Amino acid sequence: MLLDYDRLGWLRAALVGFTAAVAAFLLLPVVFIVLLSFGSSRWLAFPPPGWTLKWYEQLFADSTWIDAALTSARIAAMAAVLAVVIGLFASFALVRGEFRGRQLLRGLLLTPMVLPVVVFAIAIYAFFLRIGLAGTTIGFVIAHTILALPFAIIPITAALEGFDKSIEDAAIVCGASPLQARLRITLPSIRIGIFSAAIFSFLASWDEVVVAIFMASPTLQTLPVKIWGSLRADLSPVVAAASSLLVGLTLCLMIVTALLRRKLSR
Amino acid sequence: MTRSFLSIRAVRKTFGAFVAVHDVTIEVPKGEFLTFLGPSGSGKSTTLYAIAGFQDPTSGDVLLEDKSLLSVPSHKRNIGMVFQRYTLFPNLSVAENVAFPLRVRRRPDAEVKRRVADMLALVRLENFADRHPGALSGGQQQRVALARALAYDPPILLMDEPLSALDKKLRQEIQAEIRRIHRETGVTILYVTHDQEEALHLSDRIALFKEGRIEQIGTGEDLYLRPASEFVAGFIGNSNFLPGEHLETAAGAATVRLADGSIITGLTAAEPFSRGQKVRLMVRPEALSLTPGPASTALQVDIVDTAFFGDRRRVVARTASGDEIDVRPTSDATDPAGAIAGSGRRIYFDPALAFLFPA
Repeated sequence: MLLDYDRLGWLRAALVGFTAAVAAFLLLPVVFIVLLSFGSSRWLAFPPPGWTLKWYEQLFADSTWIDAALTSARIAAMAAVLAVVIGLFASFALVRGEFRGRQLLRGLLLTPMVLPVVVFAIAIYAFFLRIGLAGTTIGFVIAHTILALPFAIIPITAALEGFDKSIEDAAIVCGASPLQARLRITLPSIRIGIFSAAIFSFLASWDEVVVAIFMASPTLQTLPVKIWGSLRADLSPVVAAASSLLVGLTLCLMIVTALLRRKLSR
Repeated sequence: MTRSFLSIRAVRKTFGAFVAVHDVTIEVPKGEFLTFLGPSGSGKSTTLYAIAGFQDPTSGDVLLEDKSLLSVPSHKRNIGMVFQRYTLFPNLSVAENVAFPLRVRRRPDAEVKRRVADMLALVRLENFADRHPGALSGGQQQRVALARALAYDPPILLMDEPLSALDKKLRQEIQAEIRRIHRETGVTILYVTHDQEEALHLSDRIALFKEGRIEQIGTGEDLYLRPASEFVAGFIGNSNFLPGEHLETAAGAATVRLADGSIITGLTAAEPFSRGQKVRLMVRPEALSLTPGPASTALQVDIVDTAFFGDRRRVVARTASGDEIDVRPTSDATDPAGAIAGSGRRIYFDPALAFLFPA
């Protein structure tokens, strides 16, 4: 092969260097935030003059942070469940259906991923204001479900496309009704896709800030909105502590996903 | 044929303007092993799918013991089926796969357990009960699929090219298994394949499909020894076709003049021919011999090539008119290879294995 890795020579060192630079560029800000959250400087000075856990103490002592985190988790969980359920039905239609405009529908369902978030946020905020859903949990969940839908549909359609329809037919010949066949055979067989869809949908809502800023009310704030608000009010290292926890939880979810995928695909 | 068991009556299936199956009618007695043989796109699978209920025929009817199946949805037809592709449920173990049809029928646990054990013994995979399908070879997967399809004692077992994904040796092994299982269970089997050897090996009767119609239905011997058309003769077994002209038919024996001018007599004609009608003479390669016989069945040829295949030789001969003929004499009955070669040789054929068809 022309670009055989083993035969690159000096290019190989350049490639490794470039990859390391890209990785560092992506990771360093996160590393800085985490380091600063343990630093003793009130002004987020770097390098930190000393190390402390007091920002975390302050974070856990302030019930508005805890509330924001719980709100985020609640909304993300509901959005994830809804996105997976709707995504399942949509995926069956997109993969198995034979109707005109199927590709159009696929495009439409995936638009939330490519549409500028701020455009979507303004549009749905204006609409929700009119019908009285702005600032409500339901409004939040609906908005985040729409944003999460592409992240549910992509892994589920991929899993469904990789699942041979003949297997479902075999279950039907065996005496299972079409619904039974799907529940007992098809869904368990594409569970990795469904699981990925749930995690990605959860994360899509969990760290979403633009729509959340529009939808939030003084009594209903998600964690990213609270972080954003605190950053503007006072640049306290508590924000760094909250961000670190956000990063930590996301990382945990990704690790759990990877482990479960490995276990399920065996 | 006794009382009708499975009747396929004038089943027709069209997809838009394309007619996939033209009014196919077959009566299948209980316990028969019937094979639908034909090239791809000949309508054999479509007919099978109409019986399974995956495709509704455009017209016609399918009856099992005098009751129409068409209004019965697939999952209530109580038919067993083995598919071309591997269709074991990937989320269930081998034993759970075989148990699945019994579980959906809500059979008691003890019966399910006993039945699964019996079925796995039938396909000789007792030791694989707890494996998952991913850990099985293709042949093992199809045997489990067979066990699963037979677990609920279906009156009919449909098999849609179940061995086409397997290599030749494995195919022969599982063919033997299928024969044994058919013998032991007595289940009525409808089997689809495009492999004529497989059809001959397995079937009681073969229905040869061509372009959505049944070209001929009968035992393997019927199709081989009494082909109804040039298509059947060409599809079953090997054959050579030589163009010629019909001269006369007297007392059932036809005389033709081949393209190289030689006159052949004593041929069986599939249909009456007129004088001077263009015909094609079909001769099986194994019906040809280099051992001298009557002059009325001799062809004047040049030997182009010879090859040794252990039990047989393959000799390629060419007539003066340029038609190539494949000859498969048994090797012990033939001269050494060197003596076969050369031009101006005569080969002789058995008129019982030669057929005359319209050109």
